[in-house]
Amino acid sequence: MSAPPRAVPREVPPPPGVARAFHFPPFLNRRCGNGLRIYAARVERVPLATLELVFPAGGHWDPAGRPGLATLTASLLDEGTERCGSLDLARRAEDLGGYLASFADWDSGAVEVGLLASELRPACELLAEVATAPSFPEREIERLKKLRLAELDRRRYEPSALAEDHLARVLYAGTPYAEPLQGTSESVARLEREDFLGFYRDHYALGGAVLIAAGDLDPEALADRIEATLGGAPTAVAPPPPPIEPPARAAWTVHVVDRPGASQTELRIGHPGLSRRDPDYVPFLVLNTLFGGKFTSRINLNLRERHGFTYGASSRLSGRLGPGPFSIGAGVATASAGAAVREVLEEIERIRTEPVAPDELEETRAYVTGVFPYSSQTIGDVAKRLEVLAIYGLPDDYYPTYLARVAAVDRNELLALAQRHLDPQRLAIVAVGPADQLRPQLEDLGPVEVIPPAEALG
Amino acid sequence: MSTTPDLPFESHTLPNGLQVVLHPDRSLPLVTVNLWYHVGSKNERPGRTGFAHLFEHMLFQGSAHVPTNGHFRYVQEVGGVANGSTTHDRTNYYETLPAARLDLGLWLESDRMGFLLPALTQENLDKQRDVVMNERSQRIENQPYGRASETLYGLLYPDGHPYNWPVIGTMEDIAAATLDEVRAFFSTYYAPNNAVLTIAGDVAPGEALDRAAAWFGEIPSAGPVPKVAIDAKPLGGERRGVLADEILLPRVYLAFRTPPYGSRAWYAADLLASLLSGGKSSLLYRDLIYDRQTAQEVGAWVSLGEASGTFTLIATARPGVALEEIEAALAGHLERIAAGEIAEGDLERARKRALTDYFGSLQRLDMRADLLARFATFFGDPGGAAREVEVYRTLASRELADFAATYCRPADRACLWIVPRSAAR
Repeated sequence: MSAPPRAVPREVPPPPGVARAFHFPPFLNRRCGNGLRIYAARVERVPLATLELVFPAGGHWDPAGRPGLATLTASLLDEGTERCGSLDLARRAEDLGGYLASFADWDSGAVEVGLLASELRPACELLAEVATAPSFPEREIERLKKLRLAELDRRRYEPSALAEDHLARVLYAGTPYAEPLQGTSESVARLEREDFLGFYRDHYALGGAVLIAAGDLDPEALADRIEATLGGAPTAVAPPPPPIEPPARAAWTVHVVDRPGASQTELRIGHPGLSRRDPDYVPFLVLNTLFGGKFTSRINLNLRERHGFTYGASSRLSGRLGPGPFSIGAGVATASAGAAVREVLEEIERIRTEPVAPDELEETRAYVTGVFPYSSQTIGDVAKRLEVLAIYGLPDDYYPTYLARVAAVDRNELLALAQRHLDPQRLAIVAVGPADQLRPQLEDLGPVEVIPPAEALG
Repeated sequence: MSTTPDLPFESHTLPNGLQVVLHPDRSLPLVTVNLWYHVGSKNERPGRTGFAHLFEHMLFQGSAHVPTNGHFRYVQEVGGVANGSTTHDRTNYYETLPAARLDLGLWLESDRMGFLLPALTQENLDKQRDVVMNERSQRIENQPYGRASETLYGLLYPDGHPYNWPVIGTMEDIAAATLDEVRAFFSTYYAPNNAVLTIAGDVAPGEALDRAAAWFGEIPSAGPVPKVAIDAKPLGGERRGVLADEILLPRVYLAFRTPPYGSRAWYAADLLASLLSGGKSSLLYRDLIYDRQTAQEVGAWVSLGEASGTFTLIATARPGVALEEIEAALAGHLERIAAGEIAEGDLERARKRALTDYFGSLQRLDMRADLLARFATFFGDPGGAAREVEVYRTLASRELADFAATYCRPADRACLWIVPRSAAR
């Protein structure tokens, strides 16, 4: 025990001490002769590192009628190379104290190796082998297709997946965003080795790739090694992302995916949002945080704390190369579903017509800037932030600029942003739950499309 | 891995019984304030379940000097994050803040420890009961396989065992909880003599201790906390159950009671779990997903139980595969492990994975604080947190085999099948 207890004033929050600034770790950004770009940062806390090769090979580039091609191609990369089979590749990574993974999202496909920092050299070799010499063995193709098909069938039993898939189908007809990233049963069943080889050839050229390295490593030495092994050979460059143009919507629409007997209703209410590359993205992030992006957001305080409709409600913008969905989501008591939808519509209307309160804005700006160091702690956090710079073509000073931009957002700008980017008339309202109870609650909003359980389930 | 974890700490106890653990780390301008209350669902009784978890909600509803929802607002408006969690054994509450806001975190946590009751109203209770019932609907009843865990625990820890009932409680009990009962539960368990306060981050230990004493020193200790006697013996007699659910692919669960978290046998179980399902080269993945292709997914893990860990294996059947077949495969692996059939390469990879996972979790300040708090709460000594590395490094293949032979006998298992509702009709 040191000092005896002293009385402290409890009536008001205590004042702050002296603040110390946080700086995003310095990083190397180098472009090799063949176009390969390298980002590397030292993060020393623990003796680990991560290496990732990222390619313009996401679901954005799925050809019409072939949804799931990008994600399956990526999944196949670590299932065999010209020299080494699937399990041997996994063993090699695990012998380095790490893991090997290959995967794709909407905007990119990637191979990633996690490792003990002492094993950098063999990890670089493994990464290069998987990314440049995958063999797409027939046996693994068949195996992964079967796993994927079962996964897609199972997805139809997950209320939140059903809600999101249906929202996308309604909003993005005719574009790659209309279909699940994982594909559909019909498309996956039809994919063949030629499809994977073709997608790999067109999208996995090193000239368009980015190497991301973070952890207990020397960025210069790492970059030299990568440049010597991967940065020389000239290669093709992948096609730029084609524009994604969702169909125009003139009035909101209402959809119920019927799940008779479900204990709760999953709601998704949304419309196409703005691209991650849009200059409005950062101020919109502030707007979304205030609206539905934190515990004390308007949406959560309304639906959870004021009305007790739900365990949690939030809104989010899926930031992608194209205009990803902006949506509000919640699992609500079925008897409250109609009331919850109306509250959401009113909140959208309110944020489009009334300037936000000054203290509400100040709280939100402070939150968005304040959590930045918290969410930049780990090797994975830093790697992810470097990847964002690479994929969306953002400048090296993006993070300091980002913090300043957030701090500069004002009430008038938020009002204008809400009017520009939120529009009740374009919304799709999707409810997954018992249709017989939901329809009466929703039909005064407009005609209700009911998707019967058989159809939703396959 | 040659490195040892960098987890310096000091531990002090205030006159009111509050244990204060300090972990200095100047690398980022952050501080974590973490409170572990040594109360979980095991401290409840049948018919009155869900109280410990209910407090995870009530403690965010304000206290004498903090308005309803003020906790989240004060934390978020300075760029902090806050949360809490509940298990059978303990409840934790924590916030990570800019280091200059240490006092804010201590103010909030001391206010709800020392001055909660004036704000614990019927209105707040009613609203949070609704939220908890929605939470139960969302996370348990409306999720595929969502009721598996509580059903499995019900089998492995029969009626009357303190791990028997679900941590979140039953709907009937949550609905029936009265304000007086909830207040009495708080007064018994949420006192300085039943808590550990951990302060980690960019603050000098001397200063942190001074601030902790200033904010918490005046809170009186409660009477001795009632102890719960827990029988940690193996189950003694197989118990089986079948649950029909809104799912497509059936799944089998095998579960066993293990010695308590912190014992060498518990770590053997943890390493065995990694050996069985930790990566693509692990035994179950290789056998069931890769070679035989009878499973869609596999898993193995052991819970951090203070009195008894729960070692669980799962496998989800591929379409058309019978559960008997994958259950037999899981049991066969345990038998061979018990007979000592463990390949050295598999053990070494599991060991490396355990160490990488351990160091990976130390990257975050809040997780380091929580690990120190776990050791302080369960064992009185935060120093055990850094010693885990040595245990993983030295566990021998024989210890894994002994664990399987002693604790994973078919006669001591709980087995649960989850089957599609349509097939069960």
